[in-house]
Amino acid sequence: MRRGLSGVIAIILLTFLISACSGGNNAASPAASGTPAESQQPAAGEGPKDGGSLIIGVAADPVVLNPNYAGDRVSLTIDQALYAPLFQVNNGKKTFYLADSLTPSADNLTYTLKLKSGLTWHDGEKLTADDVVFTIEKILDEKQNSFLRANFLINDQPITATKVDDLTVEFKLPQVSPAFEATLVQVTPIPKHIFENETDIEKSTKNAAPVGSGPFKFKEYKAGEYLTLERFDNYFGGKPHLDSVTYRIAKDANAANLALQNGEINVQYLDPKDVSTIQATNNFEILPYAEGRLSYLMFNANSDTGVLAKKEVRQALSLALSRDEIIQTAYTSSEYADPAKSFLTPDALYFTNDVPTFDNDAAKAKEMLQAAGVSNLKLRFIVQSGNKAQEAISLYVQQKLKAVGVDVELKSMDSSAWVQKFIDLKATDFELALTGYIMGYDPDAYRILFTSGASSNYSHYANPEVDKLLNEGAGEADPAKRADIYKKAQEIVAGDAPIYPIAYTKTVVAISKNYGGLEEAVLKPVVIFEDLSKIYQK
Amino acid sequence: MRQLIVRRLLQTLPMLFFVSVVCFTMIKLAPGDPVLSFVTPNMHADDIERIRHNLGLDKPAYIQYFIWIKEMAQGNFGYSLVNHQPVLGQILERLPATAGLMGSAIALAVLLSIPLGLIAGANRNRWADKLINFISYVGISIPLFWLAILLMYLFAIKLHLLPSMGMRTIGVESAADVLKHGILPCSVLAFGFLAGYVRYIRSSTIGQLKEEYVQIQYAFGSKKSTILFRHVLKHVLLPVITLLGMSMGDLVAGAIVTETVFSWPGIGSLGMTAVKGMDYPLIMGITLFSSLMLIFGNLVADILYSFVDPRIQLKG
Repeated sequence: MRRGLSGVIAIILLTFLISACSGGNNAASPAASGTPAESQQPAAGEGPKDGGSLIIGVAADPVVLNPNYAGDRVSLTIDQALYAPLFQVNNGKKTFYLADSLTPSADNLTYTLKLKSGLTWHDGEKLTADDVVFTIEKILDEKQNSFLRANFLINDQPITATKVDDLTVEFKLPQVSPAFEATLVQVTPIPKHIFENETDIEKSTKNAAPVGSGPFKFKEYKAGEYLTLERFDNYFGGKPHLDSVTYRIAKDANAANLALQNGEINVQYLDPKDVSTIQATNNFEILPYAEGRLSYLMFNANSDTGVLAKKEVRQALSLALSRDEIIQTAYTSSEYADPAKSFLTPDALYFTNDVPTFDNDAAKAKEMLQAAGVSNLKLRFIVQSGNKAQEAISLYVQQKLKAVGVDVELKSMDSSAWVQKFIDLKATDFELALTGYIMGYDPDAYRILFTSGASSNYSHYANPEVDKLLNEGAGEADPAKRADIYKKAQEIVAGDAPIYPIAYTKTVVAISKNYGGLEEAVLKPVVIFEDLSKIYQK
Repeated sequence: MRQLIVRRLLQTLPMLFFVSVVCFTMIKLAPGDPVLSFVTPNMHADDIERIRHNLGLDKPAYIQYFIWIKEMAQGNFGYSLVNHQPVLGQILERLPATAGLMGSAIALAVLLSIPLGLIAGANRNRWADKLINFISYVGISIPLFWLAILLMYLFAIKLHLLPSMGMRTIGVESAADVLKHGILPCSVLAFGFLAGYVRYIRSSTIGQLKEEYVQIQYAFGSKKSTILFRHVLKHVLLPVITLLGMSMGDLVAGAIVTETVFSWPGIGSLGMTAVKGMDYPLIMGITLFSSLMLIFGNLVADILYSFVDPRIQLKG
């Protein structure tokens, strides 16, 4: 019996070891924006051909293939091919998918959505205004636990959707909200005829065989192995070129890169350090594209020392650092990260990088610290252990701040513990943390990050002027006035330095040269391709 | 014998209870919060609380444990917190992949380690022993994920002989295809097991060679190979049976690293995902299932003992 016991303890220890080095949450914020592909045109004379298949490498199993619940990167990626959105926005321009038009009323309180006619679900049923209304109702239904629900509340008042006729839906807003379009971008109708009698849609067994409206329909899923979609001939955007698309689950990045080289995977995310290896094979297009994400160093003004509540100190600390050096340290080259100054990302409406910045002036940093009456400053920097970029940057920051007489203590912790501490608005035992966000293209989304006491204001930034501007911007329908508001807000926030913006990071994707139509498919953050129907095999 | 088995099976119950308590406590002590994977930045605090309430995570930890154990007693392993699929179903779905991989890896390791261990023990400190020792030291110290990547690079990329990962070619359903995909992960795992087994068998062989019955065989003029494989082998099999019993836990827990690197759809890689997502019910289910197999494996090993060595009397 003793033997057995020691074996059991060994298993428990194993569980413990793994849990100790486990990652945080995998959920990616659904991004609602993108930039056009920096891809190359197919060689002249080669038109798109039909047939063939594509294998996309993904790092995990999808959690749930239902757009009302998909929050993880893999589910969002697969849903993009399985379910068509109403419309998408790239660089401020709308591309309509299921929708034909979206028109606001004169008072901007009613939006009328027209659907394309003749739309069908993968099972042949008609896709109508009923499905759209049903989807919104289910998002708003508290019992259904859709994380999109918060987006459909404006000051706790719900946005309502009503059917006018089979192809028309009317949305009523409780107050003017130009960000409504960005909310609608994230909505992908789910079929009413499938889910109307389900009490708990998230847990419904019907999600195991999803019925969508996108260019590819569900074929088979082998848990832990792969998920295959096949062509949907009645896709409203025209018959897709490829016969099938498979998402292959490859959990280990090194192994996935080998599978890519071996032709077992055709599309795969790359870490910048692996780019040269894959490029050397000459078989792949390497496409870095903006993911609409800001990576930044956060100053916690709420720490028990209270020292970072002074903006002069935050400015001085920023001056002690060099953005270009950090980019080199963390992203190997500026090719994969653009220097950032504004809290908005370049894909956001009214973005400007022409704002005050505090960067790379150690002498002035010292002066300012002295002027602020701060000496022997000690800061605590929380770092996710095992996160190479964070470890490298934190060491760099420690060394640079030492040069201006600031002592930085690195507090390394497990990533789940880190996340818990970071999002805990009451945490007062650290001053510095590295992180990033993807907030989508409408600047109103950033309100929760920078208004006093807001739900995600982790840096505890408080400036009444900024509060006023961001609240005005949320309800301002006139684009010109709105542009002014956000330009001003960007300037003030940059001047107050609640965060030290580092870079607008890019995703790098490798795609086998056997495939074309990349530009039409539009590379998109999180989901890779906006419209897979346009990809063809050469 | 039957009475013994029944008694031993009954003894597993308190053991499983102990395992579940320790495992649950550790999960609760570990940092992280499963609700975080459902939270988006603009979510209201009361929405987050509602999710927590719906998952039952707002109750005190000991209440959560009692609910779990009550359901367990009725054979309900519960549902994953992340994808809401039944835990038992997910484990059983992944079981064949892990059992096949681990079973063949253990069999391969045993078949190779017995002759290697015997030869090493019989030729103590000579070149054969040193070579075999070297190999087993390499096996013990080499990181398996590194060996896996190395073999993948060699056999898939350079030689194009084998697929690099997965268990099947997409859309292909054939045993031969699975077998082909299994060669690399099975070899890597077998190499890991082999190293440990060889060390055990070698030292047990050295011990046996000092025994009187071996000296008598020498006196009778038996050949060394006859002594080794006819007489010493029987005695050496005892530790192998113990090792096999101990390996039953691995059989279910899977080789987490190997399965993850090769994207083998087994319980090991399922466990890895569960731990990453703080999926309490799934972690508990997998741990309990592995413990059960380990205890069961030890029982079978003990019973086998009495057949191989009649001197050993089983007493519960």
